[in-house]
Amino acid sequence: MRARLPIVCLLLSGCTGVQSALDPGGDQASALFSLFALMMWVCGFVYAVVAAGLIWALWRAWRRSGTDARGDGSATHGTDGRLARLLPLAAGAIVIGLAALITASFFADRALFATRAQPALEVRVTGHQWWWRVQYRGPASGGWIETANEIHLPQGQTVRLVLGAADVIHSFWVPNVAGKLDMIPGRINVLDATARQPGWFRGQCAEFCGLQHAHMALAVKVESPAAFRAWLARQAAPAAAASGRGAAVFATACAACHAIRGTIAGGRAGPDLTHVATRRTIAAGTLTMTRGNLQGWIAQPQAIKPGTSMPAIPLDPADADAVASYLMAMR
Amino acid sequence: MRTQRGDIAARIAVALLLTGCQREARDIGPSLPQTGPNRAHDPRIVYYQDNVYQVAQGGRYFGWYGCTACHGEDASGVRDLGDGRWRYGGSFDQIFASVAERHGGLNYAARVPPEQLWQMAAYVRDLPQHTPEKRRRLSVDQVGEPQGRNWSGPVR
Repeated sequence: MRARLPIVCLLLSGCTGVQSALDPGGDQASALFSLFALMMWVCGFVYAVVAAGLIWALWRAWRRSGTDARGDGSATHGTDGRLARLLPLAAGAIVIGLAALITASFFADRALFATRAQPALEVRVTGHQWWWRVQYRGPASGGWIETANEIHLPQGQTVRLVLGAADVIHSFWVPNVAGKLDMIPGRINVLDATARQPGWFRGQCAEFCGLQHAHMALAVKVESPAAFRAWLARQAAPAAAASGRGAAVFATACAACHAIRGTIAGGRAGPDLTHVATRRTIAAGTLTMTRGNLQGWIAQPQAIKPGTSMPAIPLDPADADAVASYLMAMR
Repeated sequence: MRTQRGDIAARIAVALLLTGCQREARDIGPSLPQTGPNRAHDPRIVYYQDNVYQVAQGGRYFGWYGCTACHGEDASGVRDLGDGRWRYGGSFDQIFASVAERHGGLNYAARVPPEQLWQMAAYVRDLPQHTPEKRRRLSVDQVGEPQGRNWSGPVR
């Protein structure tokens, strides 16, 4: 028994973590987890009853084979009165159990996809192959500002996630908070999420969307409303003015696809890089945000994330170094 | 006898279907062209021109780099790339050079990496074979994708 304890602990440790539906940190995830728990207990009870009935039947048959040998054949024929009385009871239990599960899943579904009249905030998330475009409204200007692969949510407030896709079907899924809900080209899906547990969580595209589907992760930070407002204000600000080699190379080699607010770089095909150095990851969760990883990503994106739409740009090493320094200063 | 004939027919059908797979073959990874085509008989041309995936990627970059602003479905005159008439020649290397070097201040040779120029040249060279219906379907497919500095997104 004592030897099994560590194994059980090890197995159960898989239930917690930054990407687990069994460790809910928001209202929608809690509703889903309650449904899961109810289903597990009801189905576990049914399993136990069926298994017990089976064992009982086998035991009876085994006992009777003994009586048959003694020449008393009556026990194996005719109707068993006790079983006949149990039959309506069993049928009733099945109907009640199924009705309870169907009712519970109906209400859980309503809770998951109920939209509130007055969400505190609207966030647009658009799936691209293979990254997430994220848009918030700037607190001062009221216009949309863009970031990528990372969403911040104010703790305890309901946020409306407006989900779309640019190219193929993706699916928004942050198991600890909310989802999953498909993102379908030409269609808008709306999901209200109320996060309760502060901390970092991990979202993942949950609909196969091409070569790098597995490298399409979303960093999710749940923080206090004050910290969230400070983050949003900083994201809304344009980039600090910079000159020098990095800025010049970026304007030529990168600006066709990437925008940095406050500079002439205005491409929309790739992620907005205005505050790229504040993000937790590079390339939708493929690498952590460090200077070395960023420079590696600029030098050889096709080696790190084969098939990504980010092309390998032939820069000489000094230019690549200058661009990496320039981007690491985008805080 | 009849089953044998059916068997042979089935094998031929499967073989024919499988040859279609090669048109979609994707070679991904870091070994990419670093230079433009070396005249009209560069062996890399066949790879890009005959590969449906590479041509389709060219179509996506064609939108992303903003080419559709001038060379969209309703372009006319010299800007119409679908009429099969090429002002500066219709061979692959000539089209590649037209994209990279004949756009004045847009200077695509410096702003667009070589592999994307290969893909876009393959796409542009493929355009005269596109029916208007196919062209329309492509632009409907790509309506959610960015076009140069514009991206309206799926939310309208």
